Amino acid sequence: MKFTLKWLSEYVSIGDLSPEQLADRLTMLGLEVEAVQDLSQGLEGILTAKIVEVRPHPDADRLTLCTVEVGDDVVPVVCGAPNVRAGLVTAIALPGVTMPGGLRIKKARLRGQESRGMLCSGKELGISNDDGGILELDEHVASGLALVKELGLDDIMVEIDLTPNRPDCASVIGIAREVAALVDSPLRRPIKRSDLPVLDSRNIDFSVEIREPELCPRYAARKLTGVTIGPSPGWLQQRLLAVGMRPINNLVDITNFVMLEYGQPLHAFDFKKLAGGRIVVRCPAKDEKTFTTLDGSERTLEPEMLLICDQERPVAVAGVMGGLDSEVTGETTEVLLESACFDPVAIRKTARRLNLSSEASYRFERGVDPGGVDCALQRAVNLIEELAGGKAVVGGVDEYPGRRDLLTLPLRPSRVCDLLGMELDSRRMAAYLQSIEFGIAPAEAAETLQVIVPSFRVDIEREVDLVEEIARLAGYNDIPTTLPLIRMDYPQRDPLRALRQDVSAILLAQGFSEAINYSFVSEKQLDILGLSGDDERRKCTRLLNPLTEDQAVMRTMLLPGMLENIRRNINFQQTDIRLFEIGKTFLQHGSGTQPEEKLQLCAVMSGQRYPGAVPLYFSGKQADIFDIKGVAQSLLTTLRITGDSGEISFVAAGEKKQPYSQEGLSLLIMDGERVIGGLGRLDRGKGRDFGIKQDVFFLELDLETLCHLPRAEKAFKSLPRYPSVKRDIALLVPEPVAAGDLLQAILEQDVEHVEQAELFDVYRGKPIEKGMKSVALSVTYRSLEQTLDDETVDRFHKEIVHSLMSRFGGRYRGGQENEEEKRNA
Amino acid sequence: MEDELKRLRAAALEALAAVNEADQLESFRVEYLGRKGLLSTVMRRLGQVAKEDRPRLGQLANTIKREVEELFQQKKKQLSSTGVAEAVPEDLSLPGRSLPFGKLHPVTQVMEEILGVFEGMGFAVAEGPDVELEHYNFEALNIPKHHPARDMHDTFYVTDSILLRTHTSPMQARIMEKLEPPLRYIAPGKVYRCDSDITHTPMFHQVEGFMVDYKVSFADLKGVLTSFTRRMFKDDLALRFRPSFFPFTEPSAEVDIACVICGGSGCRVCKHTGWLEILGAGLIDPEVLKKVGYDPEIYSGFAFGLGVERVAMLKYGIDDIRLFYENDLRFLAQF
Repeated sequence: MKFTLKWLSEYVSIGDLSPEQLADRLTMLGLEVEAVQDLSQGLEGILTAKIVEVRPHPDADRLTLCTVEVGDDVVPVVCGAPNVRAGLVTAIALPGVTMPGGLRIKKARLRGQESRGMLCSGKELGISNDDGGILELDEHVASGLALVKELGLDDIMVEIDLTPNRPDCASVIGIAREVAALVDSPLRRPIKRSDLPVLDSRNIDFSVEIREPELCPRYAARKLTGVTIGPSPGWLQQRLLAVGMRPINNLVDITNFVMLEYGQPLHAFDFKKLAGGRIVVRCPAKDEKTFTTLDGSERTLEPEMLLICDQERPVAVAGVMGGLDSEVTGETTEVLLESACFDPVAIRKTARRLNLSSEASYRFERGVDPGGVDCALQRAVNLIEELAGGKAVVGGVDEYPGRRDLLTLPLRPSRVCDLLGMELDSRRMAAYLQSIEFGIAPAEAAETLQVIVPSFRVDIEREVDLVEEIARLAGYNDIPTTLPLIRMDYPQRDPLRALRQDVSAILLAQGFSEAINYSFVSEKQLDILGLSGDDERRKCTRLLNPLTEDQAVMRTMLLPGMLENIRRNINFQQTDIRLFEIGKTFLQHGSGTQPEEKLQLCAVMSGQRYPGAVPLYFSGKQADIFDIKGVAQSLLTTLRITGDSGEISFVAAGEKKQPYSQEGLSLLIMDGERVIGGLGRLDRGKGRDFGIKQDVFFLELDLETLCHLPRAEKAFKSLPRYPSVKRDIALLVPEPVAAGDLLQAILEQDVEHVEQAELFDVYRGKPIEKGMKSVALSVTYRSLEQTLDDETVDRFHKEIVHSLMSRFGGRYRGGQENEEEKRNA
Repeated sequence: MEDELKRLRAAALEALAAVNEADQLESFRVEYLGRKGLLSTVMRRLGQVAKEDRPRLGQLANTIKREVEELFQQKKKQLSSTGVAEAVPEDLSLPGRSLPFGKLHPVTQVMEEILGVFEGMGFAVAEGPDVELEHYNFEALNIPKHHPARDMHDTFYVTDSILLRTHTSPMQARIMEKLEPPLRYIAPGKVYRCDSDITHTPMFHQVEGFMVDYKVSFADLKGVLTSFTRRMFKDDLALRFRPSFFPFTEPSAEVDIACVICGGSGCRVCKHTGWLEILGAGLIDPEVLKKVGYDPEIYSGFAFGLGVERVAMLKYGIDDIRLFYENDLRFLAQF
């Protein structure tokens, strides 16, 4: 809602408040000021000018040479405007003046002719969209005056961001009412209720019939004759221009002006085009399928839309827009002026259906004052008589089927004090409410106020609504600031949130940064990843109204977003990447239900093994599958997750690999038989389809599942008192033997005193023959009762070596026991 | 033998005193203390000495050997501590050796900070579904179907009655429906609006908080939110509450803090007002309480909501909200 201070001051005196102070006070009253703009800004140097003489330019067809009077000076100006003529009073920017657009005017020669200034169009001055010619001012205006004064532009425009509950302030008078309360000065209305004529509908040649009284609680109309359509006077045009509305003609401008002034949308019909002189407020008949609104568009009508019709056909969509056929034109001499009130929900539905929002529908949707219909009508009638030469026909119609008594609400002052947490006496409360025209009825019980709600406050329905009125008038800043007294409580921590925090901390420590991607993605990504048609992750939740096709479905997995992140980072030369995301995925199991939402983890790495580490100390080796496996292992170990099986295992995925994972480089993370996640290298072809040319390793874990898996208790074991003994083994085994199986075999053998076994080298190549590899392991022995001597350790170690050799077909290659090898050889 | 041992001792001490470099020390060790060194050679001959002299001479030899070894160790220590023994001095301008940590996303960092403040005040954290029933997103919050307040929410729909939540406020209704007062909850999460430009992304994060108990007042709301904003920004932060409108609160307020960029004197970020809007809040509307079966004559409560990206942008001076979702490592590394 926009207005200017001069306009506002026609209804209320703002006293000595500066524009900034007024803006601040309005904001603190709940009318948030969005902008305060000095309308004269940029126009300070522009003067009025009178063209005295016009001659053709000798060397240019389109230019004219003008002699222009600017106060006492006479200057030559070369001008190209089509409407230039002797006697025209217009605007000039003399040399040295900067135009609103930033152009600085200089003395110039145009095609050899001197020009000392520029005659300006409304568009060049930024005061209208008219660029068809230079500005035309009233011929009586003297030259050499400041243009802003002549046009009334020495004014301040204020824009308010209205909340939907305050349609009463979608009017300058509504805002003036609030200002009157702020500065404690009276509100001046253009129309006094006592001056309203009584509308007699008996001797007039038109009628109004409301067939849908629920949807149209009030409809008033007057007829005017002898109207001359023409441009509005300057002051009216300036009012409209100042608030961003285009002047059209005197009649339309008056209806718009009164709408802005009173908040009451009005409509003027060309009376001669209304069949039968009748207005019928009704819904469309069965055969009425379309209607052409005055913007020239053909609209499809729906059965529940409310229409204004004449005897035969629709002439307007009620409360939204008038029709092309009954529009006021240059030939119109008789008009029927409508001032009505419609049901907010009906208007909103219609406006939505037609995808058509107008200044009128904006107000009707939020609620127009049914009690103000008549005043606005009279104001418009007066203005038409004054500015368009019309004469109102005596009598008129005011159908008011929705007439109600004003709402009276009981208000308990104690309730106000309790809710606001402040002391306030009931007289103050009453005074606040009366300052914005609420009434206070004499109360039966002293402890309750009977508050009469004015008809324009359609938002006030309950006691609590009055509490807010009192609070905002008292000033929110004057309400005390206290901390509540509470009963102590110790809320449970959400285990999933705790897990999320732990997982994040572990990954951060390993150099992973957190990503957050949009929850909606393109379904195409699933095609690129090669998910089969029956893959569960194809059960996408689809949006009815996505912004783009790339954000059309809710994600069922996190990986595609992360691949997008990798691609983008590589494009910006960040080729060494460790990223993770913890976020929800959505699986649509049935239609018409909410999808299953699951918290998932996805971590990706690409490029160098240690991104960001000093190359001086850390080689630039590329990450491989064991890096991501290590991340998964340390994550599960640090979280102490044992699973129902007692130990989480990493199993080569084989046939069960993800379609986007490289064959032979895919692992499933299992708790017994149950898959809880997976990791692997992204298939290179799929990577390229995502625009990534380097290897990507990924880890996917279902945190929802992880959260419910058993974890190892923390339990202390005494520290050993006796030293350990380490023995190494190097075995030559056939290539297919998995080194991990050797390790596992040692631990499973249950040989006494074996504390730990580790793999420390795998070697292929000379001097080892093809098809074999050397696996080096070290075994730690320790007794809790004594220091083990060499002989004892040797005995156990021999046992292990023998069993490994016999089980895996290996040959002993080395270790500390080389005598043993000699003997065997 | 005895004399020989004493001469050897004197020679060893003299030689050791002359040593002043590490490699000289090593040749000393080999010459005197090594397995084939002078002392060992002499001691090996002890076997040939007369039986009765053996214990005495053996003891003497051991004493001398211990003495020389001790002095040798001392010398060794001395040489390394004076640094003469270090071949090349370390270049200490070289960087330390470490593996870098990753960074939490700035939205998560700010979210955790916000939750931390409220958890400290005894609020419990609860999260709800992103794909929400229209009922909880709108109707339960006193926003009926054709209410103009729906214009404030550009909603993504999944079906007629299922949508992407436009705010985290549905958690108010979900929690109150299940539990009885007193309640203090904070609900973080992603929210969605069909809107995309330099100041809007179609997905962003909000934190909703509410408290319901006997006689919770607007003054209490002011107190809790004043404490919160001061913890988040700074202790003497100026803030103001001004009337606003939300269908699920009455009275409703918008909370502004003094602009953290210009300190209140006016700048581009605060649109020259000196204030930054940071929270929406109010007393929970009696209709909302009634819908979950609470008697508004007995219980009252307040609720508030804030945008996490907005707080992060203000705290860190980020000027384009879209950066949050590009996950550019150069961006993430800054926080």
